[in-house]
Amino acid sequence: MEFVFPNDSHIPWSIMIVLYPYITGLVAGAFVVSALYHVFNQQVFRPVAKLALVTALCFCSCATLPLLLHLHHPLRAFNIMFTPNVRSAMAGFGFIYSLYMLLLIVEVWLVFRPDIVERAKSHTGATGFLYRVLALGDREITPGARTLDEWFIRALAIAGIPAACVLHGYVGFLFGAIKANPWWSTALMPVIFLVSAVVSGIAALLVLYLVLSRWRRVVPDAECVRALTRCLWISLVLAVSLELLEMIHMAYESGAEWHVISSLLSEKLSVSYGVIQLLLGSICPFVLLLIAMQRRIRPAVANILGGTAAVLTLVQVFAMRWNVVVGGQLFSKSFRGFVEYSVPVGGREGLVAVVIVLALPLGVLWVAAKLLPLWQHEESSDTEMVSS
Amino acid sequence: MRDQAGESTDCGCSGDCADSGESLARREFLRGATTVVLGGLSLSYLSVAAADINSDGQSQDGTDGSAAQETGSPVTESPAGNPPEGDILFGFLVDTGTCIGTGKCLSACRTENDVPEGNSRTWVERYVHFKDGRLQVDLVPETGYAGSGLPLIDPDEVDRSYFVPKLCNHCEDAPCTQVCPVHASFTSPEGVELVDPNRCIGCAYCVQACPYGARFINPETSSADKCTWCYHRIMRGEKPACVEACPVDARVFGRLDDPRSEINKRLAKVPASVLKEHLGTHPKLHYLGLSGDVT
Amino acid sequence: MNWKQLFLRDGRHLRILACALIALGVVTYLVQGQMIPETFGDLGPYRAAALEELKSRPSVLQSDATCLKCHDHVGEERAESPHKSVGCLHCHGIGRKHVEIARRAEKSEEIEIPAVEEWDGNPLTKVDLYVAHNKQACLSCHGAVVGMPEAFRKIVVADHLEEVGALDDLDEETIKSKGVCLECHGNHDPAP
Repeated sequence: MEFVFPNDSHIPWSIMIVLYPYITGLVAGAFVVSALYHVFNQQVFRPVAKLALVTALCFCSCATLPLLLHLHHPLRAFNIMFTPNVRSAMAGFGFIYSLYMLLLIVEVWLVFRPDIVERAKSHTGATGFLYRVLALGDREITPGARTLDEWFIRALAIAGIPAACVLHGYVGFLFGAIKANPWWSTALMPVIFLVSAVVSGIAALLVLYLVLSRWRRVVPDAECVRALTRCLWISLVLAVSLELLEMIHMAYESGAEWHVISSLLSEKLSVSYGVIQLLLGSICPFVLLLIAMQRRIRPAVANILGGTAAVLTLVQVFAMRWNVVVGGQLFSKSFRGFVEYSVPVGGREGLVAVVIVLALPLGVLWVAAKLLPLWQHEESSDTEMVSS
Repeated sequence: MRDQAGESTDCGCSGDCADSGESLARREFLRGATTVVLGGLSLSYLSVAAADINSDGQSQDGTDGSAAQETGSPVTESPAGNPPEGDILFGFLVDTGTCIGTGKCLSACRTENDVPEGNSRTWVERYVHFKDGRLQVDLVPETGYAGSGLPLIDPDEVDRSYFVPKLCNHCEDAPCTQVCPVHASFTSPEGVELVDPNRCIGCAYCVQACPYGARFINPETSSADKCTWCYHRIMRGEKPACVEACPVDARVFGRLDDPRSEINKRLAKVPASVLKEHLGTHPKLHYLGLSGDVT
Repeated sequence: MNWKQLFLRDGRHLRILACALIALGVVTYLVQGQMIPETFGDLGPYRAAALEELKSRPSVLQSDATCLKCHDHVGEERAESPHKSVGCLHCHGIGRKHVEIARRAEKSEEIEIPAVEEWDGNPLTKVDLYVAHNKQACLSCHGAVVGMPEAFRKIVVADHLEEVGALDDLDEETIKSKGVCLECHGNHDPAP
């Protein structure tokens, strides 16, 4: 059992293609939390609603970076919009991504418009100019304009849910529709990607909220943390169930290529799948979140448990992406042999680039937090309540 | 039938209507069935007749046949130097039973197409079934086995063994062309799957989508690369380099749209098969004597 | 107050936004139209010029038909032989430069066709034109390898010489020499 097709000796999709669905997953998940507040009026998410929306925008703005680093002809990237092939699952990317990004920008603008108009008056210099441009010359926001904005925010949030699902579900489809690869080719793939996206989005938000609260020396809202914990737990259960369902289905059917998949799991992915994705990333957070959700637990303890669980689920989702994307390329299409892959340190698709790609959205978030008041509701919650 | 008709007249209008409707439907069905059966028969007769005509033409026209054999290309194909004309559909046939594994085709392809080391547009697999039930698969070295330094296999331990040349299948429903987001992968008017290296963005989605491992990203051009059936040669009426280089005619290239071409003659003799048929890609690369173990 | 009135009175920023989005859409559409390459779609959903570019690549390996235009006697010799499907390039190399020079030599008498070179024994050789009077060339096909079909003639030189009873006719030096095969076999028609 050691025969590899000559062109399968190295994998064509490296860690950058692991990062890309990871980042869009965070976008989709974070957007869902903001939509829970804006569309379903879940007031419990109010403390993180703005953070969720801005986080989604920051990560979305960096989502194309891993793709550009991966492309062998990055300068031709726009060909995908100039001569798109409608039969290709990948061709939709340019349009779906652009529309979603546009939607996010407009929604963030509408949500923060009162603050922008406010700051356009109080700030001078370069930042003041920026705020005045963003305010489009408005000096104040009339109650009528605010009503309109609220209505549009809701409409965009509603439209954003399917858009986020399409943006991310389609990434799963991209893999699921490759009939050449038995490890990818399943209709469950888009659903699995979507649900695990929600998991990673909520987990990232929980971690960000807890870390930023500690940084700002503010006590995080206990109800909000508990609600996030509960959502995370539910979505984690759903995601892991689907992931296991797919695997058990494959094993039970034991189709022609099961022999290669079973040795893939037991040899090549034993650590990243068995230990990291299942044990460390699924079972541990499952228990931790279950404890953190209990009302008897003190908030400080719940924060630590929930935060740890959230970090672990972030690792789980990354491992899941790794196992799908890289795992699917570790066996040759001869189904008779395996391929080696280790991430290089340098280079366009190396570890340093990975760290930069992951750190960049956080950097953008830091800048965004300087420009826009993510936490304003804590100080001026009374006035906002009146206006809405 | 007569009984039924009698009953129906007794039964009155509603029954009559229903019955006549039913018999009408039955008659309609019978007529349809007859047409189908007759049509099928006549079609099969036609195809048999056509085959007869073909084989007659082949056997009677002895001189023509030998002339075709001599130049190595069928009469209907244009001689070297002249581009083929009209509507063309190319095809490729590999006879696994005659391949002797010299690797001549491999070096020919690499030289002809400047294929960088580490990737291959074509390769030859060797399947060795040992008497103890083991199956060993390896690649024929480009220099041939002689002097390759590979450990020799004791022929006494071998139950059966054979070579399988591989190249792009030029599928009718090519998954690689389907997934290319920018139309850089396309099908030429002659049915050849090609890559436009000046449009390719190098996303490697086509590499993933090809079930046969025929594609790769060329490290020199950074674009997707694959067997073109030597498009530059075949459009001049020449044979692909690997076909030219094969000393035993294990590789046959020709026109599928021409019933008198060598490829169609050889395809007509024995049932041919294709690789990974269950994937529905409909390859235009056919195999004679393909073992079920080949993936 | 209905939405329309509200939009007209308080929706100035939204109207600007709408205009900006429409402008963006129009610009995108126009740019997209400009960026479609020439000849794209002429023959199908691809750049038709790519076909010509791919076709323009020179043929490196010379086809037998080209060789036989001048060396027609070889074709006759080979036609009925067991080697009728063995191409010229097997024993003589790519021959690209040779054909180029020969074509020029046809037109001008000043150009001389250089003599063939010695084969360096490398199956991937860059030597343009050689004569392989060498048993390695024969054995590159006829050397026995696991995987070959039963019917194919496999040769182990020592066994073969013994088999045909040639050991007595040939002296030791000849048996060891590179050209031993050609002692009995013709080069273009190898029948003994």
